[in-house]
This record gives sequence, structure tokens and C-alpha cells, in this order.
Amino acid sequence: MASPRYSLLRTLIPFDIYGGMKLTGKYFGKVLRQANRGPKRTHVVVEYPEVAVTLQPRFRGRLQMIKDEQGEIKCVCCLACEKICPTQVITIEKGKKEGRKTPFPLQYDFEMERCIFCEFCVESCGFDSIILNHQFELAGYDREDFSHGMEGQFQNMFSITPVGHYSVASED
Amino acid sequence: MFKTEEMEINLGPQHPSTHGVLRVKLHLDGETVVRCVPMIGYLHRGVEKICENKTFFQGQVWTDRTDYVASVSNNLGWAEGVEKLFGITVPRRAHYIRTMLTELNRITSHLLWLGTHALDIGAMTVFLYAFREREEILSIFEAFCGARLTTTAFRIGGLREDIPPGLEKQVRAFQARFLDCIEEYETLLTENRIWKKRTIGVALLNAEDAIALGVTGPVLRAAGSTYDIRKVFPYAAYAEMDFDVPTQTAGDTYARYLVRLEEMRQAHRIVNQCLDGLPEGPVMAKLPKVLKSEVNEVYHAIEAPKGELGYYFVGEKGGVNPYRMHIRAPSFINLQALPKMVEGRLLADVIAAIGTLDVVLGEVDR
Ligand code: SF4
Ligand code: SF4
Repeated sequence: MASPRYSLLRTLIPFDIYGGMKLTGKYFGKVLRQANRGPKRTHVVVEYPEVAVTLQPRFRGRLQMIKDEQGEIKCVCCLACEKICPTQVITIEKGKKEGRKTPFPLQYDFEMERCIFCEFCVESCGFDSIILNHQFELAGYDREDFSHGMEGQFQNMFSITPVGHYSVASED
Repeated sequence: MFKTEEMEINLGPQHPSTHGVLRVKLHLDGETVVRCVPMIGYLHRGVEKICENKTFFQGQVWTDRTDYVASVSNNLGWAEGVEKLFGITVPRRAHYIRTMLTELNRITSHLLWLGTHALDIGAMTVFLYAFREREEILSIFEAFCGARLTTTAFRIGGLREDIPPGLEKQVRAFQARFLDCIEEYETLLTENRIWKKRTIGVALLNAEDAIALGVTGPVLRAAGSTYDIRKVFPYAAYAEMDFDVPTQTAGDTYARYLVRLEEMRQAHRIVNQCLDGLPEGPVMAKLPKVLKSEVNEVYHAIEAPKGELGYYFVGEKGGVNPYRMHIRAPSFINLQALPKMVEGRLLADVIAAIGTLDVVLGEVDR
């Protein structure tokens, strides 16, 4: 318990407010003395669209299908991903292709608006034919913008979602 | 000529200081709260019902979305509950990594609470510092599992992958400076006269009432109880950890603030112990291809940042999804203490009381 005289002193001289202001002043000074893009960074803010953000290697972005070295689609339609997906956003149509032993996906519909980026599909795929890429700029204007299909469609499973198309810069 | 009457006003559901969509119906007599009724349900998604229609493996993604500021804790509760139902033993290394991430998650949750609670009461500065550290932990989560908020961090039987290279360095770098950061928050708040005026003696809840209302977590420990599930019913690797359970006796907002700050220090200690004693070995137990349950029921409780988080599962024969699943959500039960805390007090204290309870509406409504 502080003595009455001590607490009177504390009331008259605002040590607490001085301490807080000192801390704020310290960081103010630190930040003012350094440029944001300087080598030693005290800033936490990233100037995002101008400066690219760094993502961790395991970042879970949009679902993407991958091809092997011959340019052949790796998916063999085992439907594991379709079954495991908690929000049921993958629909696969099984088919055959000339000169290919394993089944070939005629359609691979992925409705991104309901995907929760959990990576269960990638985990369940035993053929490493899908990944979650590092794309996180996924906004769109209407629902069609979120349904992805096979190659040939505007939004397809093999390339990244063309956000540039929707951005303000390309509108005018 | 003049007459006074009680007035009924709504606080929320879009009020910025109610942390989401909480609506509180207040009967006011002047500035004094006569009656307080929390109205909930604006964020109800039926998580429990959804989980009954999903497999044990899939259900975990919904636990991310109940208490979304402490999703790793929720994941742990789910994973350990299911493991208890099936009698799965998790490798020791997985336990250590789980403990470490859960404690880091406790720090993020308390930091978010500290920032927003101080902001509600009027201390703007600490919010910025708290979020600076929170950001760092979120990038640790991102490095571990690829997401910052909806982590889906664990799997039934262990972890999906071991920690990535470089994570230990990242955690150690954070650990090295975190204690100084807590000092900074203390400089800004602990002795600050405005903070003390706004918190000491506000939203009182004594231990008896807290136990009667089922309140757990820091709110209970600030009233003098030492009940902490990490000590009483150790789970994950907590039995091997050396840590204290901070308590206070005052049972007011200031005491809860001190308890939570000390809890962050203890979490820091546990993370250090996990890193130092990290055993080698696998991170995933051997599991059957499909998990088929027997007729069985389990309740598994963990100490989430907000209190006792319990998962209750009922299995049916040969079922791949839970027959019944229930979440004992700490926020939901702690919120019951709100009328007790604010009735007969001033309107301005309601904001402090909501903040100090640390409710997350995603968990209240589920
Ligand atoms: S990331 Fe999850 S929600 Fe999205 S498609 Fe894969 S399994 Fe489904
Ligand atoms: S799990 Fe892999 S191989 Fe099987 S259907 Fe899905 S993408 Fe194709």
C-alpha cells in the first residue's frame, strides 16, 4: 500500500502519463527517423499494392490443378477430393481420353465462393494433382466469376484468377 | 409537473464496442442500469447440427469459425475430443507442437482482448502495440498451417505435417522480445490513473456468483479461484510443463486485466519449454482408413483463452459422423454473468463489462 504522502505526490506529478508519453515518443522518433523501405525496418505496415507482400510457403490460396511434364493433366478422377471437401464445392465429371489409360476429368467444377481454403482436398489427393496456390486476390463482381472449370473457360483451374480484369485500372 | 420513467435502450447489435453482433437490452433509470438482458443469436449458424452431418475429419473446419480469434484452441479441443472417442494415442512430438501453438494462440487472443478492451475504455495507444505482436504470431500460424485465422491446424491423430524449417527461429525471435512488449503494455496501462479509475471496482463478480453462473477462465480466476483445466485435468503436454496459474482476489475489471497479462507471461514460459524440450519422432499416429465409431460418449474439456471449452461427442455404431455434438462454449456461458455485473451500475460500465468478459460472438451463437 502506498503511503498517503506518496499518493499525494503521485497525484500532483503525473508519472504515469509521463511514462506513457515517453513510450509513444520513443516509437514516434524511431519511425520518423527511418524510411519505410529502408534496409532496417521498424515499420510494420507494408505498402501493399505497390510492394508485394511476402507469403509463407505453406500459404493456402486458391485451388489449382497441375499438369505433369508432358502437359498431361495429373488428375485420375478418384473423387477423393470431391468426397472430403467439407463444403462440397468440387464436382468432377469422369471421362475417357484417347491414348490415356487412366480416367480423365472431362469437367472439374470448382465453385470458389463456397471454398473455405482448408486444404483437405489437396491432402486427400494421392496423385498430387491439385494444389492451393498462393493467390489471395480473389474478389469478383458476380457469382459466375467464382466458378472455375476446365481449360478454355475464362476462369479455369490451370491459371491464376485474372484479377487484373476486374481492377479499376482496366475498367477505363 | 416532472415525472421520471425508466427508459429502455438497445446497445447494439451494431454498436462498435460490443465486439460483434451482441445486442444488450438495457432498462435505464437515468444513467443507472436497472435491468440488462443480453440478446444473442444474430450469428447463429447451427455449427453443432452441421457437424453432425459431417465426418469427424471434416468437422474441424467449423470449430475454426466458432471462436475465430482462438481457432487453434478450438481445433485442439475437437481433435482431442475425437481422439478420446476413438482411443487414439498421439505421438509426444505432436503433443508438444500442439501445446506450443495453443499457447501462442492464447497470447493472440489475450492481445486482441487487451487492444479492443482498452480501446473501448478509451486507451487508444495500446491497441496498436497489441496488434503489432499479434501480427507476428499470426504469421507463425501462417508458416505452420497456411492460414492466419481459420487455421484448421491439427488432424485427428496428430498433425498434418511437422513444423516447417525456420519456424523455430521465428518463434524464438518473437519470444525474445515479447516480455519487453508486455512491459510496454504495462507502462501504458497498469499505473495509468484513467485506466485505474475506469476499471477498479467496475463489473464486480465474486467467486461464489461466478461458480454459480458457470463462469470459467480468467474471469473466474480473477475472483480468487485457481480452477484451471490445464492443471486440474492436464491434456496435451501440459502435465510436463512448469507454469503457474495467476489469480487475483478483487474480481473486478482491473483484476481480470492483471490475470490476463500474467497469463500471457505464463504462456510465454510454456512456449519456451515446448521449444527447448521438443522431442524427436513422428507427428502422426497410425490410424485406420475410415474412423468408425462405437456407441460411446465423451466429453473433453480444454482451457481455451476464454475459459473451459468442452466438446461432447456421442458416437453411434459404425457411424462416420458424430450422432450428437455439443460445444460448451466459454463465451456463451460467461456472457450470463453480464446482468450480474452491471445491474445497479452506470451505463458506461456496461462497455467495460462486455470488454472484460472477452466474449466472441461467433462462439456465443455458434
Ligand atoms: S480447400 Fe477445402 S473447401 Fe476448398 S475445395 Fe478444397 S476441400 Fe473444399
Ligand atoms: S483427389 Fe486428386 S486425383 Fe482424385 S479426383 Fe481429386 S484431383 Fe483428381
